[in-house]
Amino acid sequence: MELAASAPMVELDEHRRHRIRRLTEQGIRYFFGGNAVVAIVVLALITIFLFREGFGFFGENLRSLRLYRTSGLEYVDIIRTQSEKHASLTRSLNRIRLKEFSAQLERRRNNEQAQAELAPLDQFATSFSDAGEELNGLVSDLNDDAMGLKEALASRDEVVAERDRLTRAGDASAAAKIAIPVVDSSATVTRLRASAATFRLTSSTLAAKLSGLLNSSPGLTSPAAQKLFQSWKKQVRDYVATLPTAYQELNIWDPARPVPWYRGISAFLFGRDWITASFWQDWYGIRPLLVGSILVSAVALLFAIPFGVAAAIYVSEIARPSEKRLIKPYIEFISAIPSVVLGFFGIAVVGEVIRRLSQSHWLSWISFFPISERLNVFTAGVLLALMAIPTIFTLSEDALRNVPRGFKEASYALGANRLQTIARVLVPASLSGIISAILLGFGRVIGETMVVLLCAGNRIEIPDFSEGLGAFFQPVHTMTGIIAQEMGEVVRGSIHYHALFMVGLVLFMITLAINYAAQKIVQRYRMSIG
Amino acid sequence: MTNFQMTKDESITNDEGRPSSFRRRSRVIERIAFWSFRLATYAIILATSYIFLDITVKGARTVFTTTPPFINVPFLTEKPETLYVFDYQGKQKSLGDREFRAFQAQHPNEDFHPSTVAYSAGGIWPCIVGTALLVVGSMVLALLIGISSAIYLSEYSRDSRSIRIIRIAILNLAGVPSIVFGLFGFGLFVIFFHWNVSLLAGWFTLGLMVLPAIITASEEALRAVPQGLREGSLALGATKWQTIRKNVLPYALPGILTASILGIARVAGETAPIMFTAAYALRDEMPWQVQRWTDFFFQGVMALPYHIYVVSSKIPQNEFTEHVQYGAAFVFLVLVMLIALTSVVLRERSRNRLSW
Repeated sequence: MELAASAPMVELDEHRRHRIRRLTEQGIRYFFGGNAVVAIVVLALITIFLFREGFGFFGENLRSLRLYRTSGLEYVDIIRTQSEKHASLTRSLNRIRLKEFSAQLERRRNNEQAQAELAPLDQFATSFSDAGEELNGLVSDLNDDAMGLKEALASRDEVVAERDRLTRAGDASAAAKIAIPVVDSSATVTRLRASAATFRLTSSTLAAKLSGLLNSSPGLTSPAAQKLFQSWKKQVRDYVATLPTAYQELNIWDPARPVPWYRGISAFLFGRDWITASFWQDWYGIRPLLVGSILVSAVALLFAIPFGVAAAIYVSEIARPSEKRLIKPYIEFISAIPSVVLGFFGIAVVGEVIRRLSQSHWLSWISFFPISERLNVFTAGVLLALMAIPTIFTLSEDALRNVPRGFKEASYALGANRLQTIARVLVPASLSGIISAILLGFGRVIGETMVVLLCAGNRIEIPDFSEGLGAFFQPVHTMTGIIAQEMGEVVRGSIHYHALFMVGLVLFMITLAINYAAQKIVQRYRMSIG
Repeated sequence: MTNFQMTKDESITNDEGRPSSFRRRSRVIERIAFWSFRLATYAIILATSYIFLDITVKGARTVFTTTPPFINVPFLTEKPETLYVFDYQGKQKSLGDREFRAFQAQHPNEDFHPSTVAYSAGGIWPCIVGTALLVVGSMVLALLIGISSAIYLSEYSRDSRSIRIIRIAILNLAGVPSIVFGLFGFGLFVIFFHWNVSLLAGWFTLGLMVLPAIITASEEALRAVPQGLREGSLALGATKWQTIRKNVLPYALPGILTASILGIARVAGETAPIMFTAAYALRDEMPWQVQRWTDFFFQGVMALPYHIYVVSSKIPQNEFTEHVQYGAAFVFLVLVMLIALTSVVLRERSRNRLSW
């Protein structure tokens, strides 16, 4: 009787335990599954937060550009550009003087003799730079006018934004109380416009003075300086010729002309200037940073590809087993060197070595040597190569090792020697693997921060490509570097802050694209080898 | 057979039994090519060795001393201080912050007009502590999430669309630059969660950054466990979880941990992600000097890599700063390299030992 009663009880208990157990198993499964999804979630969150923090940027940039136009800053900048061109011509004249001076010294003149020789040139330079003074004066006269208008307009925009906020919040009475200040821009604009005539006068006198100076230019002795002087004169003539165009621009300038919506984006993607915290106008153009990043990566890959691939071939095909056991872990070990230590090493040692090398006598035939800055694209690139080599090496070596044995044996059977087998069979067969290794190395290099922040020189400027390869020895700033450098100091929520997140987003997209390409190439390679 | 032998000999040698000129030339080319490969490989090794050597030699001057106990204990156990350099009785003296004050108290009537150099006196103790805290926290986090998702990927998942998406996400996450992780951590943890610059924000940022590496390594280790072990356990009536816990994880764990040590080296070595999520350039209190225990998680710390960045870029390079720069770089390099070396050695050993 008791037995009969307990049997269903046991069964029920068993059933219940079974259920609990199944539920636990299910729960554990879902727990692990949930963790596996973290990777997707993080990737999505990165995208979302870069967008969230960066998104306001385009609108703010557009507003800033509109303000730039309506307040007349743009107008003043047309004149300023001309004045700055003149100043830069003065600077290049000084460089020519320096060259001539060193040439004089080389011909064993002492300092005073050389200075005396250069007296006509000095006088020429002084009158050249004096000729631009009136133009400078005109710019600084207009500065305050335009700046005042900009500030007034900006504060009015703030008041309007505040009222809109209150209206949206439903507080209509408070919104109605806010008085919007009236800004009379037309007075300032008229005053600015009036300066066009002054500019015309000033520029024509400037043109006359410069042409006069060119006709009475002093002679130089050093051929190198002479050549530079000739091209400089041509630049001056071009400059004089463009002065009337600037006047035309002033005339057609219209503060009311609308700034199209896409300018907020295109000014970011194609802008040539990254100028922040300026008293005049901030520019957020990513181009100098992008160019910097690409130049540094190019130098790094230039070194990393031959060395990395050669080492991979050596280790997988040529080295003795005992050698292989040492070299392979050692190169993989390199990838653990912290980037900040490499960057420090660059500042402390490599930069100075490169500068010394560029000053050495037997390299003086290179036109852009000696270099002036020890921290430049090349310094950063060389060190970054060291960071890309382990990536390229490890993945290329994998690809070479994964070529089926039969390929190699068939090649030997046909009488090819080892080099022929490597060059004609193994490398072509693993080419896609090697290419994807190079791509991943590129991704590593372009996203690297500390080395470029410490060693690339941090000058926000597109290098001067007119010197040819000399561009690789100029300091630049990079996308990663600018984020690391400016993020700490920027006002949270400002346009500058949003711009930095936008740069991060661009960087993120670039690396994603590189990664995607590398994966696609590897997939294809798997199919072709079978 | 004889015929074949004949032709082979003919192709290699001519009548005098010496290699033909064509053969000889191709052999010379092969030689040259192999030597250039060899040179390239050794150039890499030499360049890196020089870096190690330079930092070791110059850093050892700071960290080691010629008198017992042979280790510069203050450098490893004190906080960074400002260095005061001044002339005293015709001699140049350089003293740390506290020493200088004591010195001034002894000579109350004199004005030394010292020039100051930031960070160049004292030691790097808080940085070492901060880095250790960051590494431990972020690795715990990364291992928890990483091993769990590796278990799911290798034990539970079947090849489906969603799994492919997860794998693609992991691959892509591995390629995201560390500075972008820094921005993300700043946007999400520091600002959105209001954690401010804190250990917690640093843990999450660094932990998520090494996650792909941990997942990949763990999955590899799990897959290396032979299928038979699982099947035997399942056949005896064990559940899936029992099988994993008793028959898979114990055998995979050494492999997982070995590979994860390399992740530790990466976490310890990164600067960019902690720059605006966890690191302070200078902080007076040590991490355990907090009022409430919850404050522990919400404090920023000094970290060794960030300290190296600060001392190598924010202060001038001269005789007074060099010893702290090289000293910090040396200590950091040794720490990270030791971790990496452990991983490499362990892996080499397990490669030779583990064969099922």
